[in-house]
Parts: sequence; C-alpha cells; structure tokens
Amino acid sequence: MHRIPFAMASAAIAVALFAGPSALAQKPGGTLVQITQPEPPNLAPYISTSGPIGQVTAKVFDGLLDYDFDLKPKPALAESFTVAPDGKTVTFKLRKDVKFHDGKPFTSADVRFTIMDVLKTNHPRGIATFKEVTAVETPDPHTAVFKLATPAPYMMMALSGYESPILPKHVYGVGDIKTHAKANEPVGTGPFRFVEWRRGEFVRLDKNKDYWRAGQPYLDRIVVRFIADASTRTAALEKGEAHVAGFGAVPYNDVKKLGALPSLEVTTKGYEMISPIVELVINTRKPPFDNQKVRQAVSYAVDRKFVIDNVWFGFGKPAMGPISSNFAPSGLYAAGIDFTVADRIERANKLLDEAGFPKKADGFRFEIVHDITPYGEEWQRFGEAVQQALAQVGIKATLRYEDVAKWLKRLYTDYDYFISSNFLYNLADPVLGVHRGFHSDRIKPGTVFVNGARWSTPETDALMDKATVEADAAKRSVLYKDLVQKVSEGSPVIYVLELQFPTIVNKQFRNVITGPLGIYGNFATAYRQ
Amino acid sequence: MTGSELGRYIIRRLLQTVPVVLGVVVMNFLLLQLAPGDLATVLAGEAGGAPKEYIDQLRQRFGQDQPVLVQLFNYLRNIVFLDLGYSFRQSAPVLDLLLARLVPTLLLMGATLIVSLGIGVLTGVLAALWVRTWKDHLVSVAAIVFYATPLFWVGLMLILLFSIHLDWFPTSGMEDVVAFHEGWARVVDIAHHLVLPTITLSLFYLALYARLMRASMLEQRGLDYVTTARAKGLTDRQITTRHVFRNALLPVVTMAGVQFGGLLGGSVVVESVFAWPGLGQLAYQSLFARDFNLLLGIFFLSSCLVVTVNLVVDLVYVVLDPRIRIG
Repeated sequence: MHRIPFAMASAAIAVALFAGPSALAQKPGGTLVQITQPEPPNLAPYISTSGPIGQVTAKVFDGLLDYDFDLKPKPALAESFTVAPDGKTVTFKLRKDVKFHDGKPFTSADVRFTIMDVLKTNHPRGIATFKEVTAVETPDPHTAVFKLATPAPYMMMALSGYESPILPKHVYGVGDIKTHAKANEPVGTGPFRFVEWRRGEFVRLDKNKDYWRAGQPYLDRIVVRFIADASTRTAALEKGEAHVAGFGAVPYNDVKKLGALPSLEVTTKGYEMISPIVELVINTRKPPFDNQKVRQAVSYAVDRKFVIDNVWFGFGKPAMGPISSNFAPSGLYAAGIDFTVADRIERANKLLDEAGFPKKADGFRFEIVHDITPYGEEWQRFGEAVQQALAQVGIKATLRYEDVAKWLKRLYTDYDYFISSNFLYNLADPVLGVHRGFHSDRIKPGTVFVNGARWSTPETDALMDKATVEADAAKRSVLYKDLVQKVSEGSPVIYVLELQFPTIVNKQFRNVITGPLGIYGNFATAYRQ
Repeated sequence: MTGSELGRYIIRRLLQTVPVVLGVVVMNFLLLQLAPGDLATVLAGEAGGAPKEYIDQLRQRFGQDQPVLVQLFNYLRNIVFLDLGYSFRQSAPVLDLLLARLVPTLLLMGATLIVSLGIGVLTGVLAALWVRTWKDHLVSVAAIVFYATPLFWVGLMLILLFSIHLDWFPTSGMEDVVAFHEGWARVVDIAHHLVLPTITLSLFYLALYARLMRASMLEQRGLDYVTTARAKGLTDRQITTRHVFRNALLPVVTMAGVQFGGLLGGSVVVESVFAWPGLGQLAYQSLFARDFNLLLGIFFLSSCLVVTVNLVVDLVYVVLDPRIRIG
C-alpha cells in the first residue's frame, strides 16, 4: 500500500509532556449556560460526529491527549507517549488516578475497547483515523500499546476528548454499541457528568467532584440550551440568560451588536483544530468544467474580499489553497496560485477565451446552474455573490437551493451538478481533512464530503500517500507545498475563504475558550468571576 | 339521551377513527418515500463525511435495504402494537420522544385554546352588542391587524419589549435552567415562561374567533326565534345570554375544532421563536433529517389528536344545542 519514502527517525521520539497551568485561586461555583445550535440528535460521539454532539459530550468524555493552540499535544488521560523508530508502535502511559463517573477505575482495557471495538469500526471519521491500527496491546492496566500496519502520524492529532472520546468498557461493552441504552446518557471521565437531557430544552451537566485534575472543574454546572430561532438566541445572550455560544449560533449581523455590549466579548479563537473552509466544488467531468482553464477562470472571478466583508461580516480571511493557515505553526501550510491579484477579471476573461468559450452577442459565454449549500441565509448571499462574479466574466449562472439530503445526493451520489458552494473542515491534520477533497481513492459515490469533483492525478495522489506516512514535519511541509501548487493549478475546488467563527462569551465567565477546540473543549478551567 | 347511548356512540366513533388514522399513516409513509435523500446520507453529512461501508451499514440497520412494501408492512404491523419504532438519529424509541414532547405541546395548545376562545368570544359578543359604534370598529380593526401579522414577528417584538426592555418575562425556554425550581415554584416558573408564547399564538386565533363570533351573533339576532322570545317577554339580556349566545357559539366551536390541526402547525413557528419543547419543532427537525420513523410517529400522534378533538367538538355540540342528536 503506502510506501515509506524516508527512514523514520532512528531514535525513539519521546515526547516530553508538560503539566498544564496549575489551579489559581479561582472561585468555585456558578452555572454556565451554553447555547448549542441545532440540538444534537443524540449524545453518542463515538458513532456520530454531528457537530452539536461534541459541544456537549466533550465536557463528559476525556481523550488520551489535549492540544494547545499551536496543535501540540498535551497530556490528558495519557501522561506521556512514545513513538517507536519505525513509527509502527505507539506506547501510551496512562494516568492511574482516573475514575469514570460511575466510580469504576479507568484502565488500558477501556482504551483497547474504545479504539478497536468502537471508534475503528463505528466512528464516521475513526474508520479512517484508526485504519492502520491492527491491535491495541495492554501489558498492564496503565499502558496501552498501539500496533500499526503503517506509520500514521496524523492519528496523534485525533486523540482529543472531542474526536476520540474514551469510553468505559464495563458500560458500553455490554449490548449493541449502535443502539446502546447509554447513547443519550453518556458516562465518561470528564470534568462534568451527565445528569439530564430534556429534549427540545436543555442538557444538564453537573460538576464531577472526583475529577482527576485536582481542584477542577470550577463551575458547579453547565446547562446546554437549544433555541431554534436565531433572534431569540441573540436575545438570550443579550439578557444574560445564556453565557456562551459559538459555531454560527449567533447570526453574523448580530455579532457586532452583541460585541458592543459591555457584558459580552467576541473571540474568533478556538477553531484551530477544525479550520473550516468555504469553497466552490466543481464537477470536473462535466463540460465546460472539464477544462482546467475554465476552472481557473472561475477561481479568478470570485471576489474573496467582497464575500468576506459582505457575506460573512468580516469573519474570515482569503483561502490561498486547500490547507488552512492555521497549520502555519506546524509548518504544513502553503499557499498556491494567488487568485486575488488586481487584474483577476482580465485574467479570467483571457483564460475563458483561450478555452474556446468566446462571448456571444448577449455578452455571455455559456450558462450553468450554481448549487447553494443549504446551511442558511449567508450561503444564499454567497451564492448571489458568486452569480454576480461569474456574470462579470460572461458566465450566466442560475441559483438552485435544495434541502440538505437532496443536495448531498446531488453532489456525492448522482454528481448531477456544475458547481456548488461547499463547507469542509481541515480538521486536526491535512490527512484527515484535506486529502479527502481530491484523492482518487476518495471518489466514492454515496459517501459525502469527499472527492465530489472527481478530480485526481497520479502525482497528487503520490504526494498525499507520502505525506500520510511521513512523520518528519519539515519533509511533510515540502510535500504539501508541491501538492498545494498542483491542486491550485488543477482547481477542482476553489478555496474561497477560511471562516473564522465568532464565539460570544459573557464576561462574567473567564477561561472558557482555552484551546484549539474552543467550544468543543471541556471547560474544566472556566470559572465565574 | 342515556349515558350508555353516549358511551356506545363514543366507542363507535373511536372505532371509525382506526381506518382514518391508518389511512393517514399509509399515505404519509408513501409520500415520504418520494423525498429524495435518506437518513443515512444526512447522518453521514452531519458527520462531515463518512466511508461508503459506514453508509451501507447504516442503511442495513435502518431496514432501508428492503423493498418499500416490506418496509410499509413491517411498520403497520408494529404500529398495531403501539410500537412506533426507533429513531436512529436521536438514538431513542420514538414513543419516548413523542411522550416527552406531548405535555409541553398540550400545555401550549390548551393555554392558547382557552385564551383565544375566551377572549375571542368575549370581544366578539361585545362588538356585536356595540355594533356600528366606534368600539365595534376598534375591535374589528384590531382583529384584522392581529390576523394579518406574522406570528414570528409578534413573538420577536414581544421578546424585545417584555423581556429585554421591561425584563418582565424570560426570552425563551420552558423553565429557569440556572435555578431549577421544584414543587410549586416550578409550576409558577413554567407559567411565567408560558405567557409570551401563549399570547403570540393566541393573537391570530383570537382575532379569527372574535370576527366569527361577532358575525354569528348579528346573524342570530335577526332570526325569528329572537322575535318570538321577545314577544314572550324575555329581556334583551336573557335573550342574548340564553338563546343568541348559545346558538352563535356553534360556528365558533366548529371552527376551533377545524383549526386545531392548524394550531399544531402554527405552533412550529412559536415553538422555535420561544424555544418551547413541543411536537412542532420535533416534526420540523425530523423532516429535514429524513428521520422517517420519528416523523411517521408524529403524524400518527397528531392525527390521533385531531380525531379526538373532533369527537370532543361533536359532543360539545350536543351540550350547546339539544336539537342536535348523536347517533
């Protein structure tokens, strides 16, 4: 399968992990009300990665690791880990003082069960993340050894409590995991324990008094509320009935108004491990878009700055390629062709002329249908902006807006589209979030959010295969630089902007957004002033 | 009419509802098959992408790999035993999900029915008594304004005024999730949260009933039996309360029964504006998620509700107008 291009570092890569900031004299107590939109369908993050679920369950479950804003691993349930020289063995030393919410101790058997029996077989992303894991060995209750078929450095980025929650084997190991009785009453080791979910209203999480991080959490309770109407969410934050909301829960046009209030603050941090990108995906097998020049012309035509300022109220920055600039600290970021140059409209027109689509008498070259991501109003505005941009270069676009199920089927099963807006996460590593967009092995009818453009080249495939198994960051960055350049030449997908979601936090509460997972964090260090 | 006659009538009517409800279920089942996309794609979509094996595995679990008629047969067989199936999206039995939403729904419906019928009928009667004076015109104009205003707008304006500016009522929800009151304090808290959604949902129906009641009162007052009653020497007051009012109420009761289905639908908007945990919101969410088991369960429950309410309306007729016989 994957060839290993470079010898792995000879010495064992021991990662010294430092302890988190020690508990200051924070006053314990208080109830934090978080707004999550929409209501999660269930509380089973081990079988569903539906966005809202993690916002609740990341407080209940811990992962083996945590991460800092630069995406460097920090200890959590694992005190430390060692990667063997060949990259095929990863040994985790586990904490000895951890108890699940039902009082039973946490051991390596729980890790083995979670990875092998649950995540690797049932988790929508875990199937890919843990594909190379052949076994998890448990020499003693506090050591878990991952055996890999080929090195998988990206796996080390996917071990947070949000992405890979560690489950108690004695609870979830009994009965069918897919329809488990505890699917909506999660039991974990996290700082908050599940108390009650009243559907359509709230989930109540109370402080875990036996949490292994001594003194934490500071809050007595977190209540996650579900309010379907956007204006009401804004009103609840304004009135102080709710204290924190992220991920587009508050409409962009209300964010500035709320940020101006003395009681609230707005931050765009806390999305570094998600790195959402707004893009246009092109059906590269349907004329006229089977022509690379036409695709590049569209990329030049889209006015990224206009879209950021007017559709997303300034909460974004131009995307310069498939990889988000959030990967700059880890060296994996690279920019492709600059499509934001001043003479972009002339360039687009020239490319379209060269491609053999001259302007006709009515000023248009050809007509297409532009599909819109059905995620809400701003996507409709985005569609209109694209429509205008295309008209500028002589492409007449009609807009089509369908519901989610229908739209997904059109893009990823029937491939019955010309060009559509789309919304993908880079996730914690390019292997997890970026490769799927244009690798040939991700052209799979019926699988959503993969290579819907159906574009690939042997060279780009090879670059990705190498980057997948390469542990050395410097060598990976060379591979990705090459990849980004080739992808932007092919332009199967037009990367428009890196979305910066605003998170609104009531100033009564401090230390709420403390890591790259933001609202997907566990809030153990949050406290009320 | 004797009590046993009434009992037999109710039993017969209930038996008649069985084919109606089953018909609704079968129709909805077949209609939902026409919707493109399915739960498996939505689940995979929410997950931000999933391998094909995962999606196939889901379809098999949902029984969607079977022919439609087999699926329908299985569903009907289960529904006979009140087994409404399992919502794979919500990871819970459909019946549990529905029952949890039933109480808030009935609370909001009941409060709305009482407020809108009570105030609507009262203002209708008053407007009829004040006919062609400025007070009558005022009632009519107000009714038209309420009737024409979109519910969501009314809801938001009430929140803006009464909750943000005046701080009299909470913006949303069914109870205070910071305090978590218990006992009577909880009842008071829920009532406090119920005020704004009830007013919002009531205004529309109140306007409808007021106009209907006014028209109906005026019509009845011109009929022969009123002249007879007057000739008999009854006072205006007696005629209005004993005769005209009771007869005029019939069309309003009919309308209230018919509107009940609409009330379930209209509550979707109010429920989402006020984050009220009712059935309407559940239906809305499950439609977009293609959670057909849950959706069919909701259709089943609401058709049962509507059928029951219509039965109650028919019984109320008998009380209001002794000339109407059941049977």
